[in-house]
Amino acid sequence: MPSPYRRTRWAAALLLMTTSLTACSGGGEDGGGGDGPIKVGISLPLTGDFSEPGQGVQQGYEAWAKIVNDSGGLLGRQVELKILDDQSSADRVVADYEQLIGSDQVDLVVGPFSTRLVVPSARVASEYGMLFVEPAGAAAEVFTQGFKNLFYAAPAVANDHYNHLAEYILALPADQRPKTAAYAAMDDPFAQGTAYGLKAKLEAGGVKTVVDEVYPPNTTDFGSIAAKIAASKADVVVGGSQYQDGVNLIVALQQLNYQPKLAAFSTAPTNPEFAAAIGNKTEGILAPTGYSQDAPYPSNKEFVEKYTAQFGKAPEEDQANAYTTGQVVAAAVKAVGCAEQGDCQQKLIDWVHANKVETVVGTLSWDDTGKPQGAHMIQQWVGGDIKIVLPADVKEAAIVYPKPAW
Amino acid sequence: MSLVLQSVVLGLLLGGLYALLAAGLTLYFGIMRVVMIAHSAFLILAAYLAWWWHERLGLDPLLSLVVTVPLFFLAGVAMQRLLLARLRAVTLTMMSVLVTFAVALTIEGLLGYAFTGTQRRIQLGYGSAGFELFGARIAVVKLIAFGLAVVSLGALYLLMKRTSFGWALRATIQHRDAARLVGIDTERTAGYGFGLGLATAAVGGTALSLDSTIYPSLHWHWIGPLMAIIVVGGLGSVPGAAAAALLLGLAQSLLQIPLGTTWAQTVFYVALFATLAVRPQGFFGGRLAQRF
Repeated sequence: MPSPYRRTRWAAALLLMTTSLTACSGGGEDGGGGDGPIKVGISLPLTGDFSEPGQGVQQGYEAWAKIVNDSGGLLGRQVELKILDDQSSADRVVADYEQLIGSDQVDLVVGPFSTRLVVPSARVASEYGMLFVEPAGAAAEVFTQGFKNLFYAAPAVANDHYNHLAEYILALPADQRPKTAAYAAMDDPFAQGTAYGLKAKLEAGGVKTVVDEVYPPNTTDFGSIAAKIAASKADVVVGGSQYQDGVNLIVALQQLNYQPKLAAFSTAPTNPEFAAAIGNKTEGILAPTGYSQDAPYPSNKEFVEKYTAQFGKAPEEDQANAYTTGQVVAAAVKAVGCAEQGDCQQKLIDWVHANKVETVVGTLSWDDTGKPQGAHMIQQWVGGDIKIVLPADVKEAAIVYPKPAW
Repeated sequence: MSLVLQSVVLGLLLGGLYALLAAGLTLYFGIMRVVMIAHSAFLILAAYLAWWWHERLGLDPLLSLVVTVPLFFLAGVAMQRLLLARLRAVTLTMMSVLVTFAVALTIEGLLGYAFTGTQRRIQLGYGSAGFELFGARIAVVKLIAFGLAVVSLGALYLLMKRTSFGWALRATIQHRDAARLVGIDTERTAGYGFGLGLATAAVGGTALSLDSTIYPSLHWHWIGPLMAIIVVGGLGSVPGAAAAALLLGLAQSLLQIPLGTTWAQTVFYVALFATLAVRPQGFFGGRLAQRF
């Protein structure tokens, strides 16, 4: 137990720190609006469970601020990020946004990472009537809370990831179209959402489900699941996977020498370490992706170039989602011509509801609940490289179907 | 039906691995009446060392056994001498749960510190290789793990039955006071026996790492099923644990066909409850005094 003396000392140190902080921020403040910098408040999980993606999102926001500022800022004002660490805790994230909006008087706020943190922080922003564009809340529950101010800055929610693939499969001539499909999904709303989104569409299109397995997140032995799928001889195998489970399942399927006509797994195949993890036997594996460095959208080239110059490596999906969030907010600010708390925020919200925005992940638009209206691109491993194959207007290579043996 | 045959093959391979993983656990209890919660943490530690060995040195993970087996043996002797021998005999079984629980937490924490919480898997060139046998596919890595189990359990059996150390160890298991009366240094024997148990953890962890994802907290996932196996097999009996492991591995694999992954895992706990209710001394070991 700390002694009373020690506690006083801490309190004094804290007081000193707070005063000096207030003094610092007081110097730069000029009562909102005007010629000072536009302050953007963000709370991110820089430590704790989500620290890895959290830092990725931070880099994306930093890249956005730098690129905007280098080209003259927003409305002629520089963009200044104020980032707090919520330690991956839902309680902290609420306090952080209260502080950013209430006492720090930021002009704009943007979202944190992960569904678990997006929902409570969106509620705070909603109470203050602030526009809330977020890079990471893709689960269904985000859009059923009745938020009017929330927008998910990505092409699609989990259930819509495979839409382009579903269209492609169902458009095949009847004699080539797969007849049976096997699904294995992790017991997780996101991973399961991707697989079940495709399952619903294929079932409606007449592709019979022959295996439907759900496994707990801690599963490490996939031998039996793979045995079921292999024994069913399904034409299509779909994995609602994160990373390691996808790798394990693919290896287990290969051990049983199961050769489907089409194999699609979420998340895992787009990981940079994927090919090595399954011994380079990647031929023909499909995956939905929300972002590709090679996607030919106009602003993407600039983003990849400048990001690589700033951080020394190319951006991944987390970084791109944060950057997209920045792009959406910037588009609204430019169009409406203001960036401050108060009436301006409602104008920004109305503008985003009514318009489409060009971003590094394509053209985005939203429904009333803030759910994006697009679908993910589909990538395929062809000849040891992963390439965009769907939709047709952005493809780098033709889709290979039926897939070669792996 | 090919799915049933395939599941039987997978179940037997899995059961063999379970037998190896559980061998040490039942040995500790037999020798010292110690419940070693940290056994699965040592398994994961060995798996991490094998992964690290392959990742950093580029050598086959099986070669890491040359280092980890002696290392774990010494660690086992040290752990018995420095921690467990100091517990009071009356409350040994109960207190050993607490002590080894602390050891497990420490190992988990250190693994997280050294290797982060990221999930790892050894990337082997032959990781997805397999061959066909009577209509069932057998994966090479699973067969290697099974082979490791057979070899080390066989070696353990010979050691227990054919060497004077084995006799001393069995005498210590059967009746410590009588063993002491005929001149066996039971303290030293118990220390070596504990080291032997931990050495099986080194082999087991390496076998596990060949075809599985590892992460620091994975040991909590394993300790439950392993405890169930040694209770069903009869506490203290290595052959009993092996028989129970094969049976439960097979049952788990076959139950996955109708029940799915989540429910098939419960077979261990159902077996545990059934054993405790019907035959608490276990189904395979006979009376404790006669084991081995």
